[in-house]
Amino acid sequence: MRRFWKWIGLFVIVALFIAATILLLFHYAPVPPIEEVELARNALSEASVNKADTYSKKLYNQATIYYDSAMVNWHRENGKIFYFRDYEKVIKFARLSAGKAMEAGENSKTSSSGLKTRLKQRIESLTTLVAEINELFNNYPLSEETHSRISRGKMLLEEATVAYNKAMYLQANRKITDSEYLLTESFKSATENLKNYFSSFSLWKKWINLTVNESKRNNDYSIIIDKFSRKCFVYYNGKQKYEFDAELGINWVGDKRVKGDKATPEGMYTITKKFDGRKTRYYKALLLDYPNDEDTVRFKAEIKNGSLPPSAKIGGLIEIHGDGGRGIDWTEGCVALTNREMDLVYRIVKVGTPVTIVGSMVDLDNIVNR
Amino acid sequence: MGLAAIAMVAVLSGCGKVPQEKIDAANAAITAAQTAEAAVYVPAEFAAVQDSMKAIMAEVEVQNGKLFKKFGPVSTKLDETLAAATQVTANAAVKKEQVKKEVETLMTEVKAVIAENTTLMKKAPRGKEGAAVLEAMKTDMATIEASVTEAQGLYDKGAYMDADNKVKAAKERAVGINTELKDAIAKVKKK
Repeated sequence: MRRFWKWIGLFVIVALFIAATILLLFHYAPVPPIEEVELARNALSEASVNKADTYSKKLYNQATIYYDSAMVNWHRENGKIFYFRDYEKVIKFARLSAGKAMEAGENSKTSSSGLKTRLKQRIESLTTLVAEINELFNNYPLSEETHSRISRGKMLLEEATVAYNKAMYLQANRKITDSEYLLTESFKSATENLKNYFSSFSLWKKWINLTVNESKRNNDYSIIIDKFSRKCFVYYNGKQKYEFDAELGINWVGDKRVKGDKATPEGMYTITKKFDGRKTRYYKALLLDYPNDEDTVRFKAEIKNGSLPPSAKIGGLIEIHGDGGRGIDWTEGCVALTNREMDLVYRIVKVGTPVTIVGSMVDLDNIVNR
Repeated sequence: MGLAAIAMVAVLSGCGKVPQEKIDAANAAITAAQTAEAAVYVPAEFAAVQDSMKAIMAEVEVQNGKLFKKFGPVSTKLDETLAAATQVTANAAVKKEQVKKEVETLMTEVKAVIAENTTLMKKAPRGKEGAAVLEAMKTDMATIEASVTEAQGLYDKGAYMDADNKVKAAKERAVGINTELKDAIAKVKKK
């Protein structure tokens, strides 16, 4: 009986020892990194809500990679006997993930909001540019290529606006960048072209003053044709009396250089003949003394320097005539008015009446700021 | 004796099995949702499912680290996530179909506006600046038509969201021209 109790005692001691060992092992066993991993997961989730996967892709991807590394390491450590587990790497990766995810989230919030603001400004600024292009070049013959680029620029601007309204800012950004390039480059090249056109403005101004003064001095009529605004102004005694819409040669930009170039010449001319009835194809016509001396000198110089072939002819038969009102530039280089306007002009002018044709009566800065 | 205790713990910790089949099924459902472009059509729902899966995998590791593993709640969550992922796939398909239909409608509408614009162009006034403006409009119309063709290409490829954006913009431009033309014609009629 004594022996029995002895064995029981021994068993109890051993059992207690084992239990104590297990408890001690558990007590000192490494704590699983539940909190750290949860923190990282929550940070990733928050970053995703803030669209960090779109607006802070690099940081978000780094955070995801760190999170995956934490999970892989956790799994690996769990494969070991619990006392030998070491969660240090798991914790390190989880913390790195949380840090990067938070940074990505903040970064995404800032950049998407900044991008939104910038996009709004760029859309507004391009919309203004489109309005300016429409205003300035409505009547100006731009090349087909320029027209097409402007048109594509406008379409991309619309696409950018649609994407912006759907909060697809990256897509909107790509579209607006392409639109900006097309529109600003087209505007630049068209404006450059326009500046070249206006390079003779000081000369035109001089001609205008001379013509108006002559009208005043002679107490008579003078005519000024403004090619850019497509206007025909009739002056009497130095004061503007009538204003009509005018239609020009198809290639009206720049001075007339050669026969058949369908350009309307620029210069100070006078009416040499008046035609009506069967004498003209265009209702009524006022023949100008084109080419004048300056035109002839310039033409000869161009032949001499080779910019025109020796066989080139200077042309002539530039008139102010009727049959206008078509709304397009259609003549061979003449100035067309409506028949009703032509009746009036024909009646008040005479052979010798000055007719000055200029590129514009208003300088480019004033036109741009108008 | 200590080693015996460790061995005992190791034996005990082997109890409770990771529901691997369910994990695989849930992952497969998430992949299916991704293939169904859930990230494009129902991004918030898709992100939520991905988030749930991440939380479940963390819970699996928590249980893996325990002496007495208990995968019952994990298994239930996996069932829920599988169902949610399947739902997300279905929702993405519905949304995609909606966008597809919207593109089809917009495509029909924009083509009708283009056709109307072509007719209106013939009636539009050519006086004063009219002709020059009409020339610019013709270029714009050609650009719009090219854009509609591009949108059709995107539609044929199944990129409905991109096609939707493109055709919406094309319609806006076409409607803008339509309004300009109608206004110009109305002005002439008034005179």
